Amino acid sequence: MTQENRLALDNCIKCSICVSHCPVAKVTERFAGPKQNGPDLERFRLEEPAAVHPSIGYCSNCKNCDVACPSGVSISAMNAKAKGEYVTLHGAPLRDKILARVEQMGKASRLAPSLVNRLGRIKPLRVLGEAMMGVSSEMTMPTYAKKTFLEMFQPKKITASKDKVLYFQGCYVNYNTPEVGMALAAVLAYHDIELTVEPFNCCGLPLIANGFLDVAREYAQKNVSKLQQYIEQGYRIITTCPSCNLTLRREYQELFDLDTSQFNEQMMDAFEFLNLLDQRGELKVELQELPKRVGYHQPCHLKAAGCGIPSLETLRHIPGLEVRDLDAGCCGLSGSYGFKKEKYPISQEIGQNISRAVQELAVDQVISECGMCQLQVHHVTGAKVYHPIQLLAEAYHLA
Amino acid sequence: MMKKNTDVLVIGAGLSGLMAAAKAVAQHKKVLLVAKGMGALGLSSGCIDLWGYQINQPDKVCTNPLAEIAKLVSHKPEHPYAKVADVLPESIDFFLQICHQNKISYLNTNRNWQLPTALGTLRPTYLVPQSMAVPDLAEVKELLVVGFQALKDFYPDVLITNLQKNTPLGAHCHLKTLMVKLANQELNANTLAHLLEKQAMLEQVISQIKPHVLPGMVVLFPPVLGEQLGHEVTEVLSEKLGCSVYEVANIPPALPGQRLQKALLHHLKTQGVEVIIGCQVTDAQITEKRCQGVVANSNGKIMEISAQTMVLATGSFLGGGLTSQSNEIKEAVFGLPVKVCPGKWSRQDFLSLAGQPFHEFGVAVNDQLQPLDDQGQVLLENVLITGANLAGCNYPIEKCGNGVALASGYKAGKLVGEAGR
Ligand SMILES: Cc1cc2nc3c(=O)[nH]c(=O)nc-3n(C[C@H](O)[C@H](O)[C@H](O)COP(=O)(O)OP(=O)(O)OC[C@H]3O[C@@H](n4cnc5c(N)ncnc54)[C@H](O)[C@@H]3O)c2cc1C
Ligand code: SF4
Ligand code: SF4
Repeated sequence: MTQENRLALDNCIKCSICVSHCPVAKVTERFAGPKQNGPDLERFRLEEPAAVHPSIGYCSNCKNCDVACPSGVSISAMNAKAKGEYVTLHGAPLRDKILARVEQMGKASRLAPSLVNRLGRIKPLRVLGEAMMGVSSEMTMPTYAKKTFLEMFQPKKITASKDKVLYFQGCYVNYNTPEVGMALAAVLAYHDIELTVEPFNCCGLPLIANGFLDVAREYAQKNVSKLQQYIEQGYRIITTCPSCNLTLRREYQELFDLDTSQFNEQMMDAFEFLNLLDQRGELKVELQELPKRVGYHQPCHLKAAGCGIPSLETLRHIPGLEVRDLDAGCCGLSGSYGFKKEKYPISQEIGQNISRAVQELAVDQVISECGMCQLQVHHVTGAKVYHPIQLLAEAYHLA
Repeated sequence: MMKKNTDVLVIGAGLSGLMAAAKAVAQHKKVLLVAKGMGALGLSSGCIDLWGYQINQPDKVCTNPLAEIAKLVSHKPEHPYAKVADVLPESIDFFLQICHQNKISYLNTNRNWQLPTALGTLRPTYLVPQSMAVPDLAEVKELLVVGFQALKDFYPDVLITNLQKNTPLGAHCHLKTLMVKLANQELNANTLAHLLEKQAMLEQVISQIKPHVLPGMVVLFPPVLGEQLGHEVTEVLSEKLGCSVYEVANIPPALPGQRLQKALLHHLKTQGVEVIIGCQVTDAQITEKRCQGVVANSNGKIMEISAQTMVLATGSFLGGGLTSQSNEIKEAVFGLPVKVCPGKWSRQDFLSLAGQPFHEFGVAVNDQLQPLDDQGQVLLENVLITGANLAGCNYPIEKCGNGVALASGYKAGKLVGEAGR
């Protein structure tokens, strides 16, 4: 064990605060919890990789433990590495290999997106999928868009663009909700800012969460070298997906020892960027009145980024709009996690907090930055769920 | 670099930081609360201790802690209570009002409670959640202590054996214990608390207890009766069992402290306080005697926060507010001098009744809660210090941890709320 490893472990004061904030441990005893799977077992794993406990597969990588820990222990990173070790030692089911390859699934669906969507709604097929593959037949499948974001987006040259901005759109926006990327492009163009796009690889989070660290590392290396080129040319990188953002900035460094320091500061959530414009007095604040009441769900990975809720700050400029924070914690889906047969009940149980909050606030629309959270919030409440940037575009008359 | 600007910056999400933010926002300030992680409140019993024992007879529990604190103030002027005694009653009212507003009820009887713990001891404390408000045991005729086989760390037999030694029970008091068996092998407190919110599970529990219930019985449970706020597991139990049901204090994790923490955080969010957890303040920009702003690290990203006033509610050693390196102890954010005691910093006997001297370490302040140097000069005018970060109190033996945090947090919030008016 290296000195550094020991130090990281000794930071843990065994207070169990992480356990009381773990949404998974709260609803199932099948998961030993962050303290045990994290710092407690890490001590053994560092000496003997085979010491990894099978219950590690139940960690959803939501990172609530990291946020709550008063001692700054990177529990979820320990868990992600342990999951990787477990998969290396014991292999993973075919289902996980498929669910983790979000980029390939997106590409494959291009052949006939509407057919894929229809198949996803045929119950007997889904039941078969559950029996043969272990993919829950209950969970709402994401729908694939007719055209990807990269196909839809027409780069526009803006002379004297106020900023050089590269958009890391992420798989979900590209294949499933291109309207989010289009809304962002419209909002930026409205501010005379040119948006640059680039076909990136998947950020790799679904691979990491399923324990395929080697493949994820390859993606990471490719993405980092592309990003660095842009940074050298003075670009900022913006994201609309909090999970992509955190993976690029933090996971690459924590899990793969890649140097992300160059773009760490220049990479931001789209609304962080808009708030920056606001601070410089460059955000247009003549917005159309939107007399509605919407709920807001904060994705766990946005919480983990520790930048607050940048979208709520921007949306405050919209007259008539009332945004109510659900304050209900994790939605439970955690990407591919809730699609797995054995984890679907766990993810739904966690999601109960969301349905309770939506009921209490009596809202029928919810906004949230993460595509997967959008899917789950809709699945558990039936509410209309979309990205806050779409609301902003609407208030600018751009939708 | 990301920049944030606010009227009031509160650093720390323990009870004192939460109170400071609540009071400041109630006075219409723009408030930002950042914290590295969660505070000690979620580990505490959920009861608010004010003062446990008599100043003149430290082995005797005091009934009226407010009167005792009045004595303390003249007897030990460097104690944090001496700086906040002026607002103590109003801070308690404010706390009770927020709790009420957020549907968790605390009881104040203007005197100390003596509550049984899982170890069968009695513990003096002042404000108690309704679910823990066990009546005077001397009046109780039938007492049943219920445990769960799947829950470690709570043994009803230990509780009643010790209780008989420690407590003047009524002459005809019958004590019984019962272990509830569930299908689950082993459960942690949070998982069990979550399960007990399910009606079917609760029915199972009730059906096992019901046959043992006698008229007028008091039933004690471990502190796991429901996870969410507003979920009245205790009420349902007592209605269906037809007797009084209470949770008793246990070692962490205990749910009542977590429920309070969650309710206060929720309150802040609904009042418009921006709350960022997972954000560590690492540095401060100081000119003359004013702090212009601080630098924070949020998961690897640097943020600059400027504020008119700041509340330092970073706790002591547990929260990371104080750091010790070889023979020096420092306040971690501003590098403020820490008042230590002469002589030994710790006693060999860890649980010594005289208390561990290191608990008294902290930052010395004036009655505006501004930090002082060893000459008594104000070091920073717009930074106020609260809670476990303050010098001069030994909460484990004095039984005043949450009380000091509550009153000092409230006072800091009040002062920053009035600033700039
Ligand atoms: C296990 C335990 C049980 C207890 N039980 C009781 C009880 O039953 N009744 C009672 O009255 N008292 C109890 N106490 C004492 C009482 O809980 C504490 O004294 C009191 O809550 C302290 O509150 P605080 O706000 O000052 O600090 P803390 O609760 O320690 O909070 C400190 C906060 O500051 C944050 N922080 C620290 N450094 C930084 C930084 N650099 N940047 C940003 N944030 C930072 C931390 O993450 C944390 O959020 C107990 C204490 C413990 C440890
Ligand atoms: S990442 Fe989430 S699920 Fe995993 S241990 Fe931490 S809190 Fe629990
Ligand atoms: S919260 Fe942090 S310090 Fe506490 S037990 Fe978990 S990892 Fe250890």
